[in-house]
Amino acid sequence: MADAPAWAAEARTTATANLDALPVLTGMEEEWRFTPPADLAMTGPEPSGAGATGTVVLPATEGRSARLAFTDGVPAPAEIIDLPDGVIVSELGQALIDHESLVRPRLYSLAGFDDRPGALNAAHWDAGTFVYVPRGVHLTLPVETVLTATGATGRVFGRTLIIVEEGAKATVVDRYVSPDLDGPVQASSVVEMFVAEGGELEHVSYIGWGSGMRHHATIRASTGKDARARSVNVTLGGDVVRVEPTMYCHGSGSDARALGMYFATGNQHFEHRVVSRHEAPQAYSNLLYKGAIQDTAHTVFFGNLVVPPGAPGTDAYQTNRNLILTEGARADTIPFLEIETAEVKCSHAGAVGRVDDEQVFYLMSRGVPELEAKHLIVYGFFQEVLDQISFGELRDELAAAARAKVR
Amino acid sequence: MPDPILKITGLEVAVDNTPILKGVDLEVPQGEVHALMGPNGSGKSTLAYALAGHPRYEITGGSVLFGGEDLAEMAADERAQKGLFLAMQYPVEVPGVSVMNFLRTAVNASRGEEIPVREFAKLFKEKSALLQFDPSFSDRYLNEGFSGGEKKRHEILQMALLEPKFAILDETDSGLDVDALRIVSEGVNAQRGPDLGCLIITHYTRILRYITPDVVHVMFEGRIAQTGGPELAEHLEDKGYVEFGSHEPANAPN
Repeated sequence: MADAPAWAAEARTTATANLDALPVLTGMEEEWRFTPPADLAMTGPEPSGAGATGTVVLPATEGRSARLAFTDGVPAPAEIIDLPDGVIVSELGQALIDHESLVRPRLYSLAGFDDRPGALNAAHWDAGTFVYVPRGVHLTLPVETVLTATGATGRVFGRTLIIVEEGAKATVVDRYVSPDLDGPVQASSVVEMFVAEGGELEHVSYIGWGSGMRHHATIRASTGKDARARSVNVTLGGDVVRVEPTMYCHGSGSDARALGMYFATGNQHFEHRVVSRHEAPQAYSNLLYKGAIQDTAHTVFFGNLVVPPGAPGTDAYQTNRNLILTEGARADTIPFLEIETAEVKCSHAGAVGRVDDEQVFYLMSRGVPELEAKHLIVYGFFQEVLDQISFGELRDELAAAARAKVR
Repeated sequence: MPDPILKITGLEVAVDNTPILKGVDLEVPQGEVHALMGPNGSGKSTLAYALAGHPRYEITGGSVLFGGEDLAEMAADERAQKGLFLAMQYPVEVPGVSVMNFLRTAVNASRGEEIPVREFAKLFKEKSALLQFDPSFSDRYLNEGFSGGEKKRHEILQMALLEPKFAILDETDSGLDVDALRIVSEGVNAQRGPDLGCLIITHYTRILRYITPDVVHVMFEGRIAQTGGPELAEHLEDKGYVEFGSHEPANAPN
């Protein structure tokens, strides 16, 4: 990364100072009781590099407009395949210098550094991506970033900043991958996205790590007037993963959706904390997360619809459904509401259940063995989320990745 | 006479600890089509589920041999792999699972090996045309939003693809209009023969006008009360189940 301009260096200094000043998280805090920060390798000494088994093969760039790939924080040359005029896809460290007027007002504005995970990322991120889509421009193919950990370093820190201007349209994919690692490696990622009036952004986050990875992910989206933002998060890999998407409806008439699926097997532990905040009237938000849990895995969903005073006409929904596939697997679901405006439509639901016996019998009566029948039902259960991904090829790849977990 | 594909002896079945079947004796030689008739609550569907291996239907006595093997020892998937098929009265919806994905998984499972994609596509095209399905049907989610007729035709399509040795059709005629009943019956007739025997479970005689049975059994209160030829069905058409102590008619309600 090139030398950061003074304002960016100062932010980094402050973040580093905050790390010392902020109280150490013990895991006794209400927000952290399900996933102690120590399990995310956020406290204690930085993990040393771990050996790896195998390597990661990246999918072809076919069907992408651009790709930025980072290995252990080191960027490969950007692959710009087909970008319309005015669209910027750049390494974020370089964008701090080249595109200060665009980056400076927004970077750290949705996800700052006054809390520990935020400060950690702000102090250390190196694998950064900047995506800018100017007014009215429609990017037809997705921009993709890939963060790869090889185990050579003890941590990988990524940061993505996306700006979609008025009436513009884009899809961005953030992909997190590694081979199975012999020891713990800490990952941190922050995605900030801004969708201006009438703009449209689809963001897909795919957490496909191998074993050993401990990942804290923050996803924040701001939607302007009549803008649409869709965050789709797919968590399949890593030992301990905590994902915190927050959708800010900053403009009236905006439409913000956070969709997710997770499939935890073996001894995996995933926590998703998904929030929509209605800072403007007449906005729509929908949070839908679906999970399957097998073996001794454990998942946690915390969802919250926040409607402060002054947001009449809010239309907000929240649903979390979990399927327990085997004895010993566990899921917790905590759907929450904080509503301080009177004229709103809000609903929330959380459920943990088993696969329907009649569905299992129906498939078994066609010769399909029991566990395979349950998996088929689970993939069908995930389809509601996958169907929200516009690019068929990506949808198919993620469906195949979920299937590959239990092959 | 060929060996029976299905030999049921003194079968007792309980559902949630309530005895439903109280000693059923029934034998179907390979390749024959038998009808199992009876009024509501006589135990016909219980027999179907018990044979297919639904875990709620507990075999508490007697035996069932399928091709000489003890069915009670097998889970539902194993029974299907041995060539037993149940066309269900109420096919279950499985959201998000496409018909194509389901059918290919089922064919692979029952064959015990992966069918090549092209071979499957050809097979699907041929059999779905037989049952008058539009090709776009394959992208729909399993039984979700299917009409009553589509569900039943889809059951028979599965039977055509899985090529079982023996099929139980549980009230396949219920809720079908004449056209759908004709399509379903033609589907069954195209498959019946020395390699496929059937047990057609029905309350009404209507479907038996399209699929002529070799033997007709009447079930009442958890036992086989009478066995005869096709003329027994005609007799029931006229008299209903009155001589078995039920006032339900057996001629078609619609």
